[in-house]
Amino acid sequence: MARSNEVNLNECKMVVPLNTWVLISNFKLAYNLLRRPDGTFNRHLAEFLDRKVPANANPVDGVFSFDVLIDRGTSLLSRIYRPATAEEPQPNVAELEKPVTAEVVPVIIFFHGGSFAHSSANSAIYDTLCRRLVGLCKAVVLSVNYRRAPENRYPCAYDDGWTALKWVNSRPWLQSQKDSKVHIYLAGDSSGGNIVHHVALRAMESGTHVLGNILLNPMFGGQERTESEQRLDGKYFVTLRDRDWYWRAYLPEGEDRDHHACNPFGPNGRSLEGIKFPKSLVVVAGLDLIQDWQLAYVEGLKKADQEVKLLYMEQATIGFYLLPNNNHFHTVMDEISKFVGSDC
Amino acid sequence: MKRDNNHLQHNPSSSLCGGSSAGKAKLWEEEAAQQDCGMDELLAVLGYKVKTSDMAEVAQKLEQLEEVMCIAQDDGISHLASETVHFNPSDLSTWLESMLSEFNPPSSFDPFGAAGTTAGVMGTLDDPFVGGPAESSTLTTLDIENNNRKHQKRGPHILDEASCSDYDLKAIPGKAIYSQDTQTQPQTHDSSSSSTHNNNVKSEKRLKSTSGSHSGIFSPPPPAAVSSGIPTDSVRPVVLVDSQENGIRLVHALMACAEAVQQNNLNLAEALVKQIGFLAISQAGAMRKVATYFAEALARRIYRLYTQNPLDHSLSDVLHMHFYEACPYLKFAHFTANQAILEAFEGKKRVHVIDFSMNQGMQWPALMQALALRAGGPPAFRLTGIGPPSHDNSDHLQEVGWKLAQLAEKIHVEFEYRGFVANSLADLDASMLDLRPSEVEAVAVNSVFELHKLLAWPGAIDKVFSVVKQMKPEIVTIVEQEANHNGLVFLDRFTEALHYYSTLFDSLEGSVSCQDKVMSEVYLGKQICNVVACEGADRVERHESLTQWRNRFGSAGFSPVHLGSNAFKQASMLLALFNGGEGYGVEENNGCLMLGWHNRPLITTSAWKPAIETTATSTITN
Repeated sequence: MARSNEVNLNECKMVVPLNTWVLISNFKLAYNLLRRPDGTFNRHLAEFLDRKVPANANPVDGVFSFDVLIDRGTSLLSRIYRPATAEEPQPNVAELEKPVTAEVVPVIIFFHGGSFAHSSANSAIYDTLCRRLVGLCKAVVLSVNYRRAPENRYPCAYDDGWTALKWVNSRPWLQSQKDSKVHIYLAGDSSGGNIVHHVALRAMESGTHVLGNILLNPMFGGQERTESEQRLDGKYFVTLRDRDWYWRAYLPEGEDRDHHACNPFGPNGRSLEGIKFPKSLVVVAGLDLIQDWQLAYVEGLKKADQEVKLLYMEQATIGFYLLPNNNHFHTVMDEISKFVGSDC
Repeated sequence: MKRDNNHLQHNPSSSLCGGSSAGKAKLWEEEAAQQDCGMDELLAVLGYKVKTSDMAEVAQKLEQLEEVMCIAQDDGISHLASETVHFNPSDLSTWLESMLSEFNPPSSFDPFGAAGTTAGVMGTLDDPFVGGPAESSTLTTLDIENNNRKHQKRGPHILDEASCSDYDLKAIPGKAIYSQDTQTQPQTHDSSSSSTHNNNVKSEKRLKSTSGSHSGIFSPPPPAAVSSGIPTDSVRPVVLVDSQENGIRLVHALMACAEAVQQNNLNLAEALVKQIGFLAISQAGAMRKVATYFAEALARRIYRLYTQNPLDHSLSDVLHMHFYEACPYLKFAHFTANQAILEAFEGKKRVHVIDFSMNQGMQWPALMQALALRAGGPPAFRLTGIGPPSHDNSDHLQEVGWKLAQLAEKIHVEFEYRGFVANSLADLDASMLDLRPSEVEAVAVNSVFELHKLLAWPGAIDKVFSVVKQMKPEIVTIVEQEANHNGLVFLDRFTEALHYYSTLFDSLEGSVSCQDKVMSEVYLGKQICNVVACEGADRVERHESLTQWRNRFGSAGFSPVHLGSNAFKQASMLLALFNGGEGYGVEENNGCLMLGWHNRPLITTSAWKPAIETTATSTITN
């Protein structure tokens, strides 16, 4: 494990703005403290360190938010973000679930990242990101506070995602005026991107219509060590060792990384041929060590004749979308906006 | 997230403070000085306070820490995670520094210094005083001498090592606080106690309100006087737990009624209140009860039944105790405050706690037990309990003192007690408290759900701040409701309170004991009534948010004392005793700890200390 840290850190610093470097390095450091070698997780310290923000029914920059308890049994909360309207600049509390008025209103169900173990819907980084998506896509965003590993392994996160999807689909107030249907998109970063795929699968299986999938640096993997994993191990904030830890924490005990949750187009995966899968927008960061798996995912979709657009951001690292201080951020936000807007 | 000052560029590498040239830079400087000076805005939004000018230094610390951790490998890292106490992660620079110093202790080793590690062995709680009920089996007790380890009951979501840090307070179940053989106390007592441990229960002093009764001198202030100068919080957290049709209609009706009241359209309000009654019946669970209390409060307001009959003391005590049992809020409050007090009393030989919220003294046995088990022996413990007068002639503060004295005797802690009866905390003067020099005796001031009442009278809070400073406390622990129920506009207050109490009532639904739950609802119902139906000096439930309290304490010349990850963790584990902890959550907020239900913070514990001033007096606004 004797890597030349100085070289790595300097390389790293050259490709991201300093405050981004500080932010992501801080996460990396904190996360190192939280993962224990025996596979357990220091949840208390994790919750202590995580920077959270409350929901806010007072609009800020044109967006207000509130939390809803979607499932009491699992304490499944979600945070809903809506645009404040000119007519209702300060929404009355009784009007939080007021019906959407536009012809077409995209509803984005968002799954935050954190490698299945970290973060929450009310983490500051994700609250900020979801707020941006509202304005960007003129959408209602629902961020799911899914159960996390290692306390809750596969398939809990997918179950929670599915529960949220059913809930959203059955809200009359989220139906677009045009066709009295809820126009649903699934979006997520890192583990959230992985959840998007699997929830979309369930949706398709049960005939629930999802208009599109947005996967930002989605978390996929496999038993094999790919070229990008070897080349980029430890270079840009992420190590193979930590990736392995998170899979061990999420996957059922005894399973390896070719489990279909981790490797959907691998030896235990299922083909999507003949299935009406939503169109996908997949964003891959060129300095992300798991990019080979993400690219393989895109290939898997293409092979099954599914509509997919790949956005390969060559000089981007993980987490580039957390701060609006780089070009990758703006490019991706534009693409997301177009992706969601194209159904209007 | 407000971006009012659009002229401040989002350029991370520009330095906002200390601009090179005058003119524009000066203007920016002044503006920036008013908000957090030179903070990187992008990181601030994400919860991290890093000055732009410090960014490079922070980056360097991160690099150093990474290097050191790499060398230390797993063992060194695990120490940082499990042993080290972390404080205020928002202040990245200080947090990183404290971790670095774990690896490189400063040459002048200061065990109580900025490193933030808890020093001194606090010992652990043994259980002879903690009585029988099943709850105690859920605790981990680690008896240092006998290696007597009971197993901790794990809820599904607790994934942590069985042994807690030895240095911390442990949670104690409520029922078991007082030992089983507590006798009723003799009525007569004098200060010359014959007890060899010198337990000293002074006769109760009845405090004459020096400025007359409050209704005479303090006429209801014009609304502006009470909250002017203190910026109100503009965050309105809402969690909807009830999306059923009836729930929404009920909320609509309540809001409409409140609006009618605000507009003084009392006929409409009256009609709506009746409608609410019908709607509430068809509603289930928490929402029905909340609606009923709010409807009643609205009715009182409409019919001008302003003043509430003050509760008989024994009844209010009973309600308070049931609330203590039904849900974790009071326990969290006591626990976190005690942890801060314990740490502040490090190494002190004589300590004095002044409790503004004495009630039945439920907070103190745990602290006394922790002090008893301190390495090097317990300090001499003095307690001054302040409470309102009782309506019968019972000397309830005295009774509480006696119970605590008995406990103290059992656990061999030198104990002194004095009860003070006061209509208002503002009636207190430092001279009444027999304060000893701070080199001799360390003082802690404690207030749980009391301070906000002072906001009902102009000048009261400032008087109390001033008196507290005269006490020269090591620490001031404050627990308050996390809500703004003191806004100027009735409808806003109503809305806030509706959400706050809906969430609170919802959390009560999981209570095991029906009686505890019902009594707790009555307890909270009294607060609801006060917030909605009362005005002026009668409206004492003037809750304010952490942001607002921070401003008040800051303006009054106090600086924050941070609560750390050890308190956080122990408080989180305490929650597991309630319904497996489901739904409850502890959050850290710039050194303060908040307890919430379904991500909605409901109460906040903060700690303060008089700021070190260059001049003797501080200017107090308002």
